[in-house]
Amino acid sequence: MVDVYIITDAVVTSSLLALLTIGLSLTYLTTRVPNFAHGTFASVGIYVGVVVTEVMGLNVYLGLIPGFFVGALVAVAQYLLFLRPMTRRNANVTTLMVATVAFDIFLIAILNIFADYLSNAFHVEARYFQFFSLDFTLFGIKGLVFVAPILVVGVVVGLYLLLNRTKFGIAMRATIENPPLAGTIGINTDMVYIASWFLAGGIAGLAGSVIPLWYIGNTNVGSDFFLISIFAAAVVGGVYSINGAILGGLIIGLAQSVIIDVLALYIGAWIIPYQPIIPLIAMIVTLLLAPNGITGINYSGLKKKLRRN
Amino acid sequence: MLTTADLFILNLLATFAPYLIVAVSINLEYGYAGVPNFGKVLAVAGGAFMAGVIPGRILASTLGIGKGMDFIKSNVPIITQINGVISSNAISSLQIFIITLIIAAIVGALLGLAVAYPVARLRSDYLGMTFLAAGQVILVIGNNYSPLVGGTQGVNVPDPFQWASSFGINRDILAVIIMMIIAVVIFLYARRLTHSPLGRMLRAVRDDENSVLALGKDVQKTRINIIIIASALAAIAGALYAFYTANVFYASFSRASWTFWPWVMVILGGAANDWGVVAGTFIFVAVRQTITFFSSDLAPFIPFNPVWLDTLLLGLALLLILIYRPEGLIPEKPIKTIKDGRPPGEVAEEDAKSEPGGGKAMDKAQSLASRLKDLFTEKKKDEPTKESS
Repeated sequence: MVDVYIITDAVVTSSLLALLTIGLSLTYLTTRVPNFAHGTFASVGIYVGVVVTEVMGLNVYLGLIPGFFVGALVAVAQYLLFLRPMTRRNANVTTLMVATVAFDIFLIAILNIFADYLSNAFHVEARYFQFFSLDFTLFGIKGLVFVAPILVVGVVVGLYLLLNRTKFGIAMRATIENPPLAGTIGINTDMVYIASWFLAGGIAGLAGSVIPLWYIGNTNVGSDFFLISIFAAAVVGGVYSINGAILGGLIIGLAQSVIIDVLALYIGAWIIPYQPIIPLIAMIVTLLLAPNGITGINYSGLKKKLRRN
Repeated sequence: MLTTADLFILNLLATFAPYLIVAVSINLEYGYAGVPNFGKVLAVAGGAFMAGVIPGRILASTLGIGKGMDFIKSNVPIITQINGVISSNAISSLQIFIITLIIAAIVGALLGLAVAYPVARLRSDYLGMTFLAAGQVILVIGNNYSPLVGGTQGVNVPDPFQWASSFGINRDILAVIIMMIIAVVIFLYARRLTHSPLGRMLRAVRDDENSVLALGKDVQKTRINIIIIASALAAIAGALYAFYTANVFYASFSRASWTFWPWVMVILGGAANDWGVVAGTFIFVAVRQTITFFSSDLAPFIPFNPVWLDTLLLGLALLLILIYRPEGLIPEKPIKTIKDGRPPGEVAEEDAKSEPGGGKAMDKAQSLASRLKDLFTEKKKDEPTKESS
């Protein structure tokens, strides 16, 4: 039974991380700023899930749609209200990073106030809650184990079609490659930036709305627990690539869950809280050996080097 | 006896001193060298944890207290006994205090080095991410590895200021005076550091890495060095705070309170301006203290825990400062390293004019510049004719 848990935990964790990392890379590629508030977009999704299930009493998976849109709305608000005015005033990357940290703190405060409001007004559990019992079971396995990979496949296929088969997607890729050039041929780069923030927040909110099915939900889950893993996944996969984000998310999710679950089996359960050390180590090792991540390694150059040796 | 006003001021200064040190350390990293350290809590907690680990154990073994007892499990009786002994001995109290601060500084420096070393050669955003992750991890360790600082229970720290009462001085007053002295010394040290040639190099690293490289300076080493110094200072602040509160509890070293707040102080006051950072720290601490002081009066009027009002307003305030006044209250000024107080560029210009050879070179350069200007203006005049033809 324990082996089944290790596999299902790995599937869910890596799927969720892949979803969360896609958005981070998307905004990093377009607006060139690592968004330190990205983890909290997932927390926003978590609380959308609370409203849908506990306040309205609907199915958990119905929270996916409002989760997407509320997350997207928050991300677009962050970009339009704070980041865009700053870039227009020629703020540098460091200043923008500080602004995302500030927005993160601001957003966590709003979530905390909202959680207080939920527990006062509707008498629902708005802190340290979980929806484990609300999930459906298929072949004795929790539904999220099937839904999470389906979400990843859906988002990846959707993004692939958007980026490769639509005019807007081509405009988006052009903006990522060379913003001034894209602007000169008439692409509305500002619209592309807004769209990238919309998608990033949306996908994170989508993933967030199902997080309480597997993890304990709270206002700081996104920023304290997931953010390190998201950054590690982005770095391991390579921050300049969406494929890298998916790959990195899967690798970090797998490493984090399998290593800890196996260690817990042999050493003892006390090791479980030390989980965040794994993404930190993965991040540092990647930055030491291949700072551009897996997708950034120059494989043909590496082969030549090996042959010469 | 202390009145409410005395307590207010005492509390204000007791918060101001460690935060000033942390703000100075962020200013060294971010203000001068452009290093975005979003894991300041790593060094601060590292220093504070050392205050929880080192003095209690050293004193317990040298005084022969608590033999055969577990230091963490029977922490309260052991520390009470230690305090009973050292409260009558000022010299050994101060000895252990200084030894702990030194160890804290070393540990802080090592933590800074461990994170900075693999990342310093990369772009600054990687530094931000790695520091953030490391800052989070040290809190996870502090929470779960109870031999360090007692995990969820916390540990008590031997009080090195209690001997004051035998001289008729209030313990808190002495502690605040010592903390303020250390904070001022660190402030002056940082000021000397940044007003030296090193300070100019740090700004150059921040503003234009490539030109620093072209001058044969080692950007990576400079960055690592400043991170080491700043982390050591921040660790001292953490240890001081632990000594003042006389206990260490991992949760009091959250990301918000020891990374984010000092960042607000630095940006509010003005990054890369020493007096700006002092002003920013003081305003921040005073405003927060006032809010906390009156939050119980405020509580009936707002439908949520007033704790969140704090972070809500501070987050918003920082965002607004970054948009409308990114240079802070007191903006950065050029460093005056030449004795008569003029910026170096101006002096060089005048020197060039006063020297006969230099003057000629200056004239030559000017005539060359004017000829180049003519060339460009001629070209511009040509362009419309070409188009019309």
